[in-house]
Amino acid sequence: MDIISFICSPGVLCQVLVGLSRTVILFIVASGLSLILGVLRIPNIAHGSLYMIGAFLAFSVSKAFGGGITGYWMAILLAPLIVAALSFIAERAIFCRLYEREHIMLFLLTFAFALIFGDLVKLVWGAEYRTVSMPRFFQGSIPIFGLPFPIYNFFLLFMGPLVAIMLWVIVNKTKMGKISRAAAVDREMVGAVGINVSMVFATVFVIGCYLAGLGGALVAPIVNVTLGMDHTLIIEAFLIVIMGGLGNIWGALLGALIFGVTQSLGILIWPQFGIIFPYAAVIVVLSFRPTGLLRSTW
Amino acid sequence: MGARKSIVALLIILAILAIAPFGLPRFYTYLIALIVTTGLLATSLNFVLGFGGIYQFHHAVFYGAGAYGAAIMIVKLGYPAWLGFITGPVVAAVLSFVIGLICVRLSKLYFGMLQISLGSLVWAIVYRWYGFTGGDDGIHGIPMPELIGSPFGSYYFTLIVGGLSLLVMYRILNSPFGSALQGIRDNVVRSQAVGVSVRRHQLAAIVIAGFFGGVAGVLFVVVDNSVFPDMMFWTLSLEITIMALLGGWLTFLGPLLGAAVVVSLRTFVSGVTDYWTLVMGILLVLVILFLPEGLLGYVFEVWKRRTSESSEVQQR
Amino acid sequence: MMLEVRGIQKSFAGFQAVNGANLDVAEGEIVAVIGPNGAGKTTLFNLITGILTPDGGQVIFKGEDITGLPAHRTCKKGITRSFQVVNIFSRLTVFENVRIAVLSQQGRTFNLFTPSKRLATKETAEILESVGLIRKKDSVCGALSHGEQKVLEIAIALGGKPELLILDEPTAGMSPEETARCIDLIKQLRTNMGLTILFCEHDMEIVFGIANRIMVMVRGVTIIQGACDEVRCNQAVQDAYLGGSDVCSV
Repeated sequence: MDIISFICSPGVLCQVLVGLSRTVILFIVASGLSLILGVLRIPNIAHGSLYMIGAFLAFSVSKAFGGGITGYWMAILLAPLIVAALSFIAERAIFCRLYEREHIMLFLLTFAFALIFGDLVKLVWGAEYRTVSMPRFFQGSIPIFGLPFPIYNFFLLFMGPLVAIMLWVIVNKTKMGKISRAAAVDREMVGAVGINVSMVFATVFVIGCYLAGLGGALVAPIVNVTLGMDHTLIIEAFLIVIMGGLGNIWGALLGALIFGVTQSLGILIWPQFGIIFPYAAVIVVLSFRPTGLLRSTW
Repeated sequence: MGARKSIVALLIILAILAIAPFGLPRFYTYLIALIVTTGLLATSLNFVLGFGGIYQFHHAVFYGAGAYGAAIMIVKLGYPAWLGFITGPVVAAVLSFVIGLICVRLSKLYFGMLQISLGSLVWAIVYRWYGFTGGDDGIHGIPMPELIGSPFGSYYFTLIVGGLSLLVMYRILNSPFGSALQGIRDNVVRSQAVGVSVRRHQLAAIVIAGFFGGVAGVLFVVVDNSVFPDMMFWTLSLEITIMALLGGWLTFLGPLLGAAVVVSLRTFVSGVTDYWTLVMGILLVLVILFLPEGLLGYVFEVWKRRTSESSEVQQR
Repeated sequence: MMLEVRGIQKSFAGFQAVNGANLDVAEGEIVAVIGPNGAGKTTLFNLITGILTPDGGQVIFKGEDITGLPAHRTCKKGITRSFQVVNIFSRLTVFENVRIAVLSQQGRTFNLFTPSKRLATKETAEILESVGLIRKKDSVCGALSHGEQKVLEIAIALGGKPELLILDEPTAGMSPEETARCIDLIKQLRTNMGLTILFCEHDMEIVFGIANRIMVMVRGVTIIQGACDEVRCNQAVQDAYLGGSDVCSV
């Protein structure tokens, strides 16, 4: 009973809400990862790097437009697009030649890109950390359960479902999405009916990477943008995707929710080792459903 | 390449390494010891990756577990160093059994991703548990027994233990267990149909690989007298995967060669530029594009093309 | 009865691949399963050998219920098989392919320290001799011709010392000469080694040439099983499968 009243106390609820709004970032990044996994079957380790690049680009773009609200919106708009362009070049130059190879080669290739991107970030932005100033519009907080809740977190809570719905529309309502779902199941067949599978893969890859960049741009105002911010994020995204079911967008959402809730509760219950709780959740989930909560496309 | 030739090659290399400290500056003996340690680590990874077809994406955890197991026994619990050296690999083997048990039901990439995640949990615990593991500082200045306290001593200890471990792994790969493991790599369904219990063999292979990963961890403690959480960070796992790939992941000695190339390159490139990972990344892209069978794999292929059909039996 | 299959069922994502098939195989028989493409023959074999787990029904082998036993255990019980699509250890040599099966049959795959080379050599050589692949023993099996790979399939299955040998379209894709040799091989396996054989095949000439009894399967259901002539003259079989033409007099 103690635990329930503890969980229901305003402070805890507020903490969970803040945790959830960070989870939105994780969801956005993980959904991109899951999309690429589902269709191309590549666990893209470089996804974290693209997230980091997104954040650094948000810093640069926002600065170029003089900070403030314009800078912020331009950053949200442009940074992910630049990331997408970067990934398009990588896909067309190298990845597209290797789709027939063993998965482990593609996996290691993404690691090679993670290494290269990491050092390129160091080359361009240097090793010190950067901050993106929060536009005044988003500063301040709204009281919720009698405690202050930052406005920007509301914005994030709003962005999560928005991205989820847009992804759902792309995957289920567009021709592109339908083809890519078919290609995920049987790529020879899709190729046999005369569809350019290679271009489908490129598009999916770029959309997935765009989401990584978007996550990076959205997180930029609330964290220190720094080298190495990709390292833990990619593991968290992996966990979320595994929990939800590889390739399943809604699975990514569900996984992110579980991750966010267990993590923020975990930190309250046991500050030093709060990080254990999401992992415990994954192990529990997998012992009951070895291929994740929702149906994996595999 | 006959099995015997591999062994002969290994013995020759070891013999050369055995006399190396007499002619080389101390830094190079340290470097060679580091290569042997890392090479053992990469070979133990390749035991399951190249010969078992298991996507062991986070092998460094067992390296770290071995090193921390030894270090904690010696420094925090005050046991004699030799006992610590035995504890390390045992801890690694137990950990690999637990992680393996959770992962082994899953197929290929799923397995690999879950293993990276669970391994990262172990890393996170080590990283945060200041009181026991030294947190992000790690543990330094681990006292060594007199016999291996000197650079000479630690060098020969590394060489002997590393060499023995390699021989044992080689022997296992050529045993019926090794045959079954390679069968599973090539064809899971066929293995089941001839009566091989796939998961049990895979789990056993993971534990053996974890054990020798732990031995490599202990050797690192002997060479460097320190442990730190980076030893079990996932990037190191992928680095050793690169070593296996670069050297030739279908060959036994490939990972050792890969480790030698990567460790020496890192040592020398880092002296010239800060952008070592960039060099490593580009190297990896080139290997994947142009040398998918790795250096040794390529050499064997060329060699096989030259010699007659009759000697194409085995190239391990 | 050596093998009894009772009302076995399996569906994939709503598609009922096998829907209550029955099959009897007596010791020393050669039994053929025939049926049009997609009738569920391969699925039936996968259910018997434990590659797939049935949704319902029973598999009884030598009086023992082995329903749902995983593949590696049905193998140890004495049922081994070849696959329709070539399914071999492609990076290993012909000899090593068969040796793995023999080692597994001998329960030696957890032996960690004896070199494989010293074990099971005689048994493996005998099997390769009996199927006529001994000359190719040191070739990497990815380099064999398709027909040779199909024979290797049978050799691997023999490595498990089966009592019941299941062959899934053993001659599929073989040249006429290879087919003839393969048929001889199958006949020899019965006469020389006393094996009970269950197989499926599209070529009716082969089926009626070597089978003692035939089971006919259409859309996952057993239509009839019986002696060759009985099946050949059955009206339902002719309608459903042999295209309605009167093959009784052939």
